[in-house]
Amino acid sequence: MLTLAMYFNHPIFLVTILLLLIFVNISHDRGKDLRKWLPTLSIMSTLIILINPFLVSRGTTILFYFRGKQVTLEAFMYGITMALFIAIILVVFISFNLILNGNRFLYIFSKILPRIALMIMMAIRFVPLMKRRLNEIGDVQRLRGMSMTVGDFKTRVRNGMLRVQILLTWSLEEAIHVTNSMKARGYGTEGKKSSYTLYFMDKRDWVWLFILAGLMMLCFYGGRLGYGQMIIYPELGPWQFFWIDWIVFCSMFIITSFPLFIEGREKIRWKLSI
Amino acid sequence: MEIIDIKALSFQYPESDNYALDGVNFHVKQGEFVVIGGPSGCGKTTLLHLLKKEISPHGLQSGDISYIGKPLDEWDERTLIEEIGLVFQDPENQIIMDDVMQELVFGMENLGYSPIDMRLRLAEMVHTFSVEHLLHQKTTALSGGQKQLLNLLSALLLKPRVLLLDEPTSQLDPVAAKDLLMMLERLNKELGITVIIVEHRLENIFDKADRVVFMNEGKIIHDGKSREVIQQIYNRQDHRFFPYIPSISQMYLELHHAPTIDRIPLNVNEGRTELASLPSMNHVEKIENKVMNTDTEPIIEAKDVYFQYEQGSSMVLRKLSFSLNRGDFYAVMGGNGSGKTTLLKTCLGLLKPQRGSVKRFGRKLTHKSIDSVHQNIAYLSQQPQTFFIQDTIEKEMQLIAEQHEIQDSEKRIKSLLNLFGIEHLRNRHPYDCSGGEVQKAALACMLLTKPSILFMDEPTKGLDPVSKIHLQSILRKLHSDGLTILMVTHDIEFTAKTATKCAMLFDGEITAEALPHAFFTGNYFYTTSINRLTQNSQYPEALTLEEVLHSWQEHELA
Repeated sequence: MLTLAMYFNHPIFLVTILLLLIFVNISHDRGKDLRKWLPTLSIMSTLIILINPFLVSRGTTILFYFRGKQVTLEAFMYGITMALFIAIILVVFISFNLILNGNRFLYIFSKILPRIALMIMMAIRFVPLMKRRLNEIGDVQRLRGMSMTVGDFKTRVRNGMLRVQILLTWSLEEAIHVTNSMKARGYGTEGKKSSYTLYFMDKRDWVWLFILAGLMMLCFYGGRLGYGQMIIYPELGPWQFFWIDWIVFCSMFIITSFPLFIEGREKIRWKLSI
Repeated sequence: MEIIDIKALSFQYPESDNYALDGVNFHVKQGEFVVIGGPSGCGKTTLLHLLKKEISPHGLQSGDISYIGKPLDEWDERTLIEEIGLVFQDPENQIIMDDVMQELVFGMENLGYSPIDMRLRLAEMVHTFSVEHLLHQKTTALSGGQKQLLNLLSALLLKPRVLLLDEPTSQLDPVAAKDLLMMLERLNKELGITVIIVEHRLENIFDKADRVVFMNEGKIIHDGKSREVIQQIYNRQDHRFFPYIPSISQMYLELHHAPTIDRIPLNVNEGRTELASLPSMNHVEKIENKVMNTDTEPIIEAKDVYFQYEQGSSMVLRKLSFSLNRGDFYAVMGGNGSGKTTLLKTCLGLLKPQRGSVKRFGRKLTHKSIDSVHQNIAYLSQQPQTFFIQDTIEKEMQLIAEQHEIQDSEKRIKSLLNLFGIEHLRNRHPYDCSGGEVQKAALACMLLTKPSILFMDEPTKGLDPVSKIHLQSILRKLHSDGLTILMVTHDIEFTAKTATKCAMLFDGEITAEALPHAFFTGNYFYTTSINRLTQNSQYPEALTLEEVLHSWQEHELA
């Protein structure tokens, strides 16, 4: 989907992709994570749309002059496509985060980079642990008068650094136990590490993969020939869709809404069986 | 058949003059349940770790360790990893993965088992211990007891023949600790797994163990069946190990005129039977708390406090009201997750209640006032090492003296170090001290500023019985010198011996508040073993062994 978004820059294409992705995201967790990101997302998009025309003065359709520089419609449009593009990337990553939990992540990467995958997994676990420890240290230190909320800037910074120092000493001490526990259960022994969780591809998966790959090819080919794209510089091209544009648009629509289709089918089945 | 055979084992850590183990001979038969006890630093953990080759400490080693007749070095790595399992002390630090299932299969994956094999073992184990409900949870969401169970299971999945446990219950509450011990007993009885466990809390373990071993300064001092060891310690009047003996057995040995070895009671049930044969003391009056705190000036007053950690989560504290008077030694008890620590932190002002007010010295706690009145209070957290910022205890104390402009600081530092008996640790790095020592050092540092209230969060967690007795006497002394103490704990025996007022935290509020005697007597589970023994007997209902012995003396005189 990312590649699709990179391939097409037609605003209608991008808006469709974005809307579909938002629906996909809502189907995961009712948009809980998305809502957290919403302020950042909207501020960033608005900034890009507003700033781009003032920085870039390429293009021929001049809207007005600002401090002697031309502000063009083309640059404005380009800003919009950029903003849409970035929004798509963010939404995809939010979904990615929700779907790909540690286990699946490890499964995908452990084949290629087993050590690094484990390290990442451990890091994921230890961040909240460290955070809890830092809180505990903060409480104890605050009550002995080493506060971070009173005093001048220098003392506050010094007290903050002391906390981090305690955290490091403590965590290093604890890390010895962690390595011991890993060694005791045979980590680092010779021989191949196996994996408990297996995600199998069955026949239906292959069929769907094939169909999706076909549609993907179609999109790529269409994009290659310039369909689904809009000419922005030097002069804004027409909005109009040719019939091949429509084909490309449909295949893109199917690819992006595929997760929705699967989840929706499940929901309908549940509802109907009652 | 001997599964583990240790001959003349000595071990010395690098840069240390003393032997951590000094000529230890130790044999374990297949299927035995062995308990090793002894004060911190006696070498019991070193011994246990030397049995697990992958993590055996570096140092000078002499003597032989053999496993099933063959020296440990001659076995191949894989067999040893599989057949000798180890569970560590801290439940938190042994967990590596984020997800329970992933954690359970970690060992099997490392050894490259086939997926079918793993599934079979996991299914069997999860079903046997009925932990299906935990399988898809995050490891961080588990309670301490569940975490330790998870660690035990992940060791068991490799089908060990010997299970080593390093103080597995020291971080758990009494209920979880009992559950874990029952589990071990079952593994030992049903599957014939040899269990070697290093433990501090021996009150409940004597009647489960086939053998008890006591160590001191790198040597094995007592070794034999539970009752034999108890009698040995008694006959030799070996006071070093008295605190390790269950109080019921102690009571029997103290009161019985002709104790016999195979009648020494190890649990309440046996104790009841034996009690009948003990001389009765009918006419001794009922024991009651004589000390009443007459001071009613409240130092801390909490009123209708509601607290929750997150919006939408359940209320941890609910309409909680209580007051701490000057001169109290107040103990708040309650199960795990009942909100004890939350209560403590609310009183400290670290957590702000959603509703209700907390007043300290008659003033409402605000963000500012916490930072300005810190000299008056001391807070001993569950992790006392977080207190230290200097690299020796002495420097730490000097720093505090400087910060608070304390007069003749050197003299005060010295007297405090002496009071806590840690003069010899003066130049030690806090992280090089044992758990009990760090705690004492932290307390000594805090008392330098002469606080008027001491807050303690689970002060007995992970302490060996001797340190516990020491802490008990120190706290009693500090209390009699006028220090007000608020402690949250689940250590019943400790509370019974120290506190002047007890309260139970249940369902977010203080449900019962009373003097220790009124509080504990009549409880079924939530009381000391001596009390369970003396309830409805010909003895006056007592809480501690000291009380029984005291009233016994009175009876003798009468």
